[in-house]
Amino acid sequence: MDQSPLEMFLADLRSHSPLSNDDRNAILALPMRLRQLDAGSYIIREGDVPTHCCILVTGFAYRQKFTGEGSRQILSVCIPGDAIDFQNMFLDISDHAVQLLTRSVIADIPREALQDLVLARPAIGVAVIHSTLIEASILREWVVNVGRRDARARIAHILCEFAVRLEARSLASKQGFELPMTQEQLADATGLTPVHVNRVLKGLQADGLISRQRRNIQFTDWRALQDTADFNRRYLHLPGEDELAVAAM
Amino acid sequence: MSDTNQLEPLVRRWGKRCALSDTDREAVLGLPVTRKSFSKDAYMVREGQRTTECTVLVRGFAYRQKLLSDGDRQIISFHIPSEFVDLQNGVLETADHNVQSLNHCEVAAVPRSALMDLADAYPAIRLAMWIDTLIDSSVFREWVVNVGRRDSRARIAHLLCELALRLERTGAGRDGIFNFPLTQEQLADATGLTAVHTNRTLQSLRRDNLIQLSNGTLRVLDWKGLCEVGDFDELYLHQQI
Repeated sequence: MDQSPLEMFLADLRSHSPLSNDDRNAILALPMRLRQLDAGSYIIREGDVPTHCCILVTGFAYRQKFTGEGSRQILSVCIPGDAIDFQNMFLDISDHAVQLLTRSVIADIPREALQDLVLARPAIGVAVIHSTLIEASILREWVVNVGRRDARARIAHILCEFAVRLEARSLASKQGFELPMTQEQLADATGLTPVHVNRVLKGLQADGLISRQRRNIQFTDWRALQDTADFNRRYLHLPGEDELAVAAM
Repeated sequence: MSDTNQLEPLVRRWGKRCALSDTDREAVLGLPVTRKSFSKDAYMVREGQRTTECTVLVRGFAYRQKLLSDGDRQIISFHIPSEFVDLQNGVLETADHNVQSLNHCEVAAVPRSALMDLADAYPAIRLAMWIDTLIDSSVFREWVVNVGRRDSRARIAHLLCELALRLERTGAGRDGIFNFPLTQEQLADATGLTAVHTNRTLQSLRRDNLIQLSNGTLRVLDWKGLCEVGDFDELYLHQQI
């Protein structure tokens, strides 16, 4: 990664929202502190009062909640360049936890500095809201995924989503990627059991949709995988694609 | 004046959470609105549509849903008066899901550009809109947990707790009695269950004297018991009022 964390943040905002030079400079001037953390570290826990908002510089993280009985549901996977807990920017108690999937570098930005910036500069405010709204759209799709798709489609869908999001940040190609999740974590992201996930992955492989070597997933039939997943990338609101979707109507 | 009055409940709700000045309030009430009414089950927004306006619910109930290619439906959230049903469409270019009326609805539609100009010019309003979208996200997260990791009895109980609490906070219900126009099929589509399973689950909640549900009225007989069954902790609503 040649870009500084704030440049990554800026690049994500500018992929969907125009920003002036003054706005760009204001973002690049934000106070920030880098930290390297091991896999499994918590960035924030449910019930915590947030003091910082952070950007994932390298590595992967996930949002999760626990039910009263202690089962875990993973809510989303964060990839490099994602703002991790801007969800907490104006909410005073964190309603979920964020934990690292892999050893990662994160950039902490004091919450107050960010609050001041987005309230003082409307264009930055709208740009950050835009990113937050895309996260919300992904959450809606996850409600659909665990609510109404069968096990095979759920797993295929999460693989497609991950691939397309990584590709949009030039972090993977549709040929394949290194999946940073265990089968247990995949199960917790799809509302299944690990045994069921294992069976589904074997099935997708047997049908020639993917091939696997340890955690490396190759897409041997990308189109069939998307069909199986009922995957329509509209909900990701990728740069430029909303305009295309409208033009095609 | 009757047009602008439609946004009064919105201003009141925002004002409870954010410090709005008189100028802020007047700016919201001065928004150009188109009044619309929808009969039961009408589409307010369709997936794939180019977004041109945002809709505040004035009367009635609405829900967001997505359709799968095989025709199955997942309901993603319910909305009650004074809430936007599609605030994200002020920023995102294309609607990524559908919004439907649950019963007869009256709405105030605000042009997207007027709303965004307002957000641009008034920081306190921008903040209020922002908090709305963050709370929406928090509710979506809780719904992922609900359909992903709770059993059918807990799922239904959780949904009833959420709706009862939100209705009570807006003064739409009292003493545990709520106007509740949801069908069993809609409850099923919101919880990822079948209609038959939903029916059986409602009966078991009734048998345990937790609720009564008949003729569009929900009576919560044992709030604490229902919360326990539903694994319900209102933190995720962030005191939405």
